[in-house]
Amino acid sequence: MASTLQGIGARPDQTLALNMKLLSHHELHGFGGIGEGMGMQLARDGRRILWLAHESAPKNFTAVDVTDPKKPQVVVQTELPHAKVRSNSLDVVGDTMAVAYQASAAGMRPAGFDLFDISTPEKPKLISHFDASGPHSRGVHAVWFVDGEFIHMASGAPDFQPTHPSDDQFYRIVDVRNPSKPAEVGRWWLPGTRVGDNVPPPARHAKFDSGFRAHNTNVFPQRPDRAYVGYISGGAVILDISDKSRPKLVAHWRYSPPYTGFTHTVLPLFERELLIVSDECVYSDGKDWPKLVWVVDARLETNPVPISTFPMPPVETFAKNGGRFGAHNLHENLPVPGSWRSDSVIVGTFFGGGVRAFDVSNPYQPQEIAYFVPPAPRLSHVGSIQLNDVYVDDRRLVFTVDRFAGGLYVLEMTI
Amino acid sequence: MQNPAPTRDSLAGKLPVSLITGFLGSGKTTLLKRLLRDPGMNRAAVIINEFGEVGIDHELVASSSEQMTLLSNGCLCCTVRTDLQETLRELFIKRRAGEVIDFDRVFVETTGLADPVPVLHTLQTDGMLGAQYRLDCVVTLVDAVNGLQNLDDTPEAAKQAAVADRIVITKSDIAPPAAVATLEERLQRMNPYAARTVAINGEVDVAFLRDVGPRSTRATPRDLDRWLAPSGEARPEGAYLGERVRAGAHDASIRSFCLWFDKPFTWDTFSAAVQVLTSLRGPDLLRVKGLVHVAGEPGPVVVQGAQHVFHPPVTLEAWSGTDRRSRIVFITRNLSRESVEALFAAVGTLAAPRS
Repeated sequence: MASTLQGIGARPDQTLALNMKLLSHHELHGFGGIGEGMGMQLARDGRRILWLAHESAPKNFTAVDVTDPKKPQVVVQTELPHAKVRSNSLDVVGDTMAVAYQASAAGMRPAGFDLFDISTPEKPKLISHFDASGPHSRGVHAVWFVDGEFIHMASGAPDFQPTHPSDDQFYRIVDVRNPSKPAEVGRWWLPGTRVGDNVPPPARHAKFDSGFRAHNTNVFPQRPDRAYVGYISGGAVILDISDKSRPKLVAHWRYSPPYTGFTHTVLPLFERELLIVSDECVYSDGKDWPKLVWVVDARLETNPVPISTFPMPPVETFAKNGGRFGAHNLHENLPVPGSWRSDSVIVGTFFGGGVRAFDVSNPYQPQEIAYFVPPAPRLSHVGSIQLNDVYVDDRRLVFTVDRFAGGLYVLEMTI
Repeated sequence: MQNPAPTRDSLAGKLPVSLITGFLGSGKTTLLKRLLRDPGMNRAAVIINEFGEVGIDHELVASSSEQMTLLSNGCLCCTVRTDLQETLRELFIKRRAGEVIDFDRVFVETTGLADPVPVLHTLQTDGMLGAQYRLDCVVTLVDAVNGLQNLDDTPEAAKQAAVADRIVITKSDIAPPAAVATLEERLQRMNPYAARTVAINGEVDVAFLRDVGPRSTRATPRDLDRWLAPSGEARPEGAYLGERVRAGAHDASIRSFCLWFDKPFTWDTFSAAVQVLTSLRGPDLLRVKGLVHVAGEPGPVVVQGAQHVFHPPVTLEAWSGTDRRSRIVFITRNLSRESVEALFAAVGTLAAPRS
C-alpha cells in the first residue's frame, strides 16, 4: 500500500549514490572495523595489495589483494598481542610498512610502532619495534611514512609529561633509514602542553576538549621543509622542519572555539596555494555538529585565511541515524606510487554521511560531485554506516572502510 | 594503464535530462504511459504535468505522495509543482537527502503548447541546475494524422520539431501511408539532424530517447555522431520530394544546415562570431550544436545553445580519428546558411594575426 514520500529522512538501510558505483564489498572475515590506516603496495609480482589497520583489537592489520577490484581477496590478517592496544594507522613505502600502536591507557605496552618487511605480503616479517611507551604515554596514534626515510607521527614519549593527560601525543620525527634501528631526530609540541614549559598551558575547550595533541603529520616532497599538522584542539599548524632536530612554528590557525574542535588533517594543495583542513566528528547523534572540511587560502603561509567549507549533506537527514556524522579523513594525495593525486578533486569520509568527492576548482565555491553512502553493515551495532577512511588509487578507484563492521567497499568514480 | 585525469569530467558528473515535447494530441501521454511501465526506466525520474493524465494503475505503485509516486519498476514519477525549475531543484535535494531514489536520469514532459527553448534556458541559467544536470536531448513527438497541419498552422509545433534531437512519429497506424511519407519528408527537410523513429501505440525503445548528448569528455566518435546525426546530411539538400510539397506558413522559414570549417579557430574568433550572431539574431537561432576545433585545445570543444543562451563550452579530452574539422549544426528561422557562413568568414578575416 502507498506510503508517504514526503518529510522522511535517509533510511540507514538504503544506499545513496551519485557518480560512484560499488564494484565490490568485503567484510574482512567478520572483522570489518577499520581505523585510519590505508596503504597500497604495488607488489613485485604485479599484485596490488591494500593494507588496512584495524580500528580496535583483536585484529592488527589486514592485507587485501585488490588487483581485480571486483574480486578483493584477503591475503593476511594478523592479531594484536592483547585487547587494550589498537593499531589504527599504517603507511606503506615499497616493501616496508609502518604500523602504529596506541594503548588504551598511559604506561601500557606495546605503545609505539612496528616496521615490517612485506615483500611477501602473505608473510609480513617484523624488522623492528620503536618503543614510545612511558608513564604518561599511550604511544602512537597516527604515522606518516612516504619517503622510506623518516616517520612523522603523533606520539607520546617516555620522557614527556604533559600538563594535561589528554595532551600526551605530540609531533615526532623518527629516522628509519636504518630500519632495524629507528631513532628520534626531532619533535615539536604546542608550548604549554609539557610540564616545565615556560608558558602556561592553553585554555581548554569548555565543551569539546579532545586534547591539544597532534593527529595527522604530513610532509610532502614538494616542501620537504614543512610539516602540516592537525593539532586537534590546537587547530592547524604549519612547522618549518628544514632542521628536523628543531621544528619551528610557521603558522597556527585556530578556529575552536567558537567551533567544536578536533582538527584532524591539514592537506596542502601546493600549486594552488591552498590548504584543505578537515575536522573529525567524535560524538554521536550530531552533538559536535558542525564538523567540516575547510578550504584555506595559504598564499601567505604565515596567515592562513579560511575562504569556504565543503557543502555538507543535510544534517537533519544523517545526524540521527546512529553513530557519528561529519568530516573525518581525506585522501591525502600520498606521494607514493599507486596513489591518485589531484589538486582539484578531494575525496573524504563523513561517517554516516558516507564517502564524498568535491570539486575545489573554484576554491570559494567547492561543489559536491559524487558520493556513496552504503547501507548500515549487517554486523554494525550503531545502526548506520560509519565510513572512517578513504584511499584513492591511481586507477581512480575509491577504497573506503567502515569503522566498526562493514569492512572494505570498492567504488568506481564516474566523474 | 593510463593515469586517469586528476580533474573532474565536467560532463560525466551531471544527471542527464531529456525533454519530451510534442504538440497537443501528438501522443505524449500514450508514450509516457508506456515509458513509466518500461523495465528500462529503472532509476529514471519522470516529471509530468498531471498524474490523472497518465493514469497510473494502482498495482504499479510502490509508494506515493500527492506529488510523487514510486513505481514498482523503480521509476520515480512526479508532477510539476510550481515550475520546472523548482521541481528539478527539489528533486535533486531530495535525492541527496535520500528522500527519493537515487535516480540517474530525468525525463521532462513539456506542455503541448510549450516552446521548448525556455526550458533549455532554465537548465543553463539556473546555477544549481547547471551544476547538477545536463541536457541530454530534446525528443519531439509528431503525429502522422495532424502533424503536418500543425507544422503549418502553429509556430510552436514547428519550433518543437526544429529543435529536436530525436523525433518520434506517432499514430502512423491510423494515418494514410502517403501522409506518413509526406510528414517524414517534411521533417527531414526541416531538421535532418534529428534521428527519427515511428512509434505505434507509444511503443518506443527507451534507448532511443537517452544517452544522446555527449556524456563524458572522453566521448567516442560514435557518441558524437549519435548526437550530431551526420546521416541527416548524407543526401544533398533539395533532393527530396519534400522540397516540392507545399511550404507551410510557419516552418517554411526554418532551415537547418551544418557548417564545416577546415581551419582551427582561436577561441576569440569563434566566440566573437557567436556573439555577433546571438546579439543580432538571437531569437532566430533555434538551436546550435557542434564540435569546434579550437587551436591549442587537446580535443574538440563541444558547443551548444538555443537563441541567445549558450552552455559553457566543454573541451573533450582528445581527438580521435584524423578529421579535425569543426562542424556546427544550425537550426535557424529566417536566417540563411549563406549569411551565417559569411559572418564566420568575415570574423575570421578580421581576427588579429597571432604572432
